[in-house]
Amino acid sequence: MVQLPVLILQVNNMLLEVKDLTIEFHDHDRPETVVENVSFSLDKGEILGLVGESGSGKSMTAMAIAGLLPRKKMKKSGEIIFEEKNLLTLPRHDLRELQGDEIAVIFQEPMTALNPTMRIGRQVEEALLLHRDMTAQDRKNRAIKYLKAVELDDAERIYESYPHELSGGQRQRVMIASAMINRPKILIADEPTTALDVTVQAQIIDLLQRTNKKLGVAILFISHDLSLISRITHNVIVMQNGHIVEKGNTDEIFAAPKNDYTKKLIAAIPKVELK
Amino acid sequence: MLNSIRKTFRKYNNFFFNFGMIITLVFFVLAVVGCFYTPYNTTEMNVALKNSAPALAHIFGCDNYGRDIFSRVMEGIRNTFFISFFTVLIGSLMGILIGAVSGYYGGRLDEILMRINDVMFAFPSVLLALVIISLFGSGTMVVTLALGIAFIPSFARIVRSEYKKQASLDYVQSAKLMGAKDIRVIFVHILPNILPVLVSSVMIGFNNAVLAEAGLSYLGIGVQPPEASLGRMLSEAQSYLFSSPWYALFPGLAIVFMVLGFSMLAEGISSAK
Repeated sequence: MVQLPVLILQVNNMLLEVKDLTIEFHDHDRPETVVENVSFSLDKGEILGLVGESGSGKSMTAMAIAGLLPRKKMKKSGEIIFEEKNLLTLPRHDLRELQGDEIAVIFQEPMTALNPTMRIGRQVEEALLLHRDMTAQDRKNRAIKYLKAVELDDAERIYESYPHELSGGQRQRVMIASAMINRPKILIADEPTTALDVTVQAQIIDLLQRTNKKLGVAILFISHDLSLISRITHNVIVMQNGHIVEKGNTDEIFAAPKNDYTKKLIAAIPKVELK
Repeated sequence: MLNSIRKTFRKYNNFFFNFGMIITLVFFVLAVVGCFYTPYNTTEMNVALKNSAPALAHIFGCDNYGRDIFSRVMEGIRNTFFISFFTVLIGSLMGILIGAVSGYYGGRLDEILMRINDVMFAFPSVLLALVIISLFGSGTMVVTLALGIAFIPSFARIVRSEYKKQASLDYVQSAKLMGAKDIRVIFVHILPNILPVLVSSVMIGFNNAVLAEAGLSYLGIGVQPPEASLGRMLSEAQSYLFSSPWYALFPGLAIVFMVLGFSMLAEGISSAK
């Protein structure tokens, strides 16, 4: 695996900074803290892995960055700084300007993340329609260009199809195309391959990696699959019970984990031994 | 264009849908033709033909004033059809609006809207219509409005539960994350997804509207005479039930088949895969 150690050293390249992020739910009698004092940063062009078991707060952290946390029944403190703006306190209108333009998200389930009653073309174009002033023909051309870029062979046909006519892998490619169409600076991939089978998984990972290299988008890659994390990410953050237990260069952590929990996680990766 | 229509209809190619469609189309044609042409003048009385039995000249017979029952049934179908149509239109549009806002946003707004809805729902719709009619006077317009308002709660409730279900799905989150405004998410992204449910509930709404309109007219507060109405004809025919049963039979059959047609359409749509 070729690594890019240069990126890690350039601190001034910081794109997104999360400072002391704490998220509490207030919808029950007792407030429940799901993320506590989480701080990290994401550099330009970096692929940052966020690992942890279910309930470790990794998805919550990502949703906070995406601006998808509900505004009510929840207490959020700390700061998420992106381009000198605090995403946690940004008014909704300003947040919408960023969503789909500077920050995009890919979901776990490509089956439900696409609108079943809308043609693929329209869904890929949605972010363009909302953020760019383009003619319908320009939008279509760009959508088809991006569908081709995610290696969908007959992009023209897929542009006209409905989600149920596509396979899981194709849908996830469509999701990536629609997320990337405005050339966002940050792409949040929330377990993008969990719902796919292994061969398709590998293809999607390759695609994400190439997208990262070609377009320079920073990817926040959330997964509980450590072998995927070790393949794709430059840096990794390990979370447990809403806390960061370890963070640093992926290769270093996988070679010599310091934290007990990380050690256990890495030991749990199944290894194939050929006889 | 024509191809896509054919494609849509192929999905619904089942017995219930076809049968319901045929019945509904027949009534629709009768209603539309009834606007411009009836075999006889619907208010012209002819003492000589008083309570005469069905014959070639008057295929449904004549009523107690010697008016042609077929022509009056046609007019009645026309009135019922259009009153039902606008009733459902008002009920479903307002219902969609209220249900969508309530289901999508949830929270306190949802509570308030749904409690108001419950209060309206607890009132029998015919009674609610009666209250409105007694406040604003009878007449086709008021009846339509009254029934329309009475129909809002049931639509609002169906639409709300659908929106609640859809709002938590990933595609809605995804649309929000692309920066779509709430109004766009509600009407462009979610609405098409609840159409199957909505369409069959509209059809059932039609059913109820036909029955409610006939019921109101039967009670004498719907369409006012001399204009013909199926419900009113039924109530007038009561006194002649044994001497001239055709007077009650044909308006009654018209109501039954109209309701049957809409029910079958609803069944056909909801059972389509």
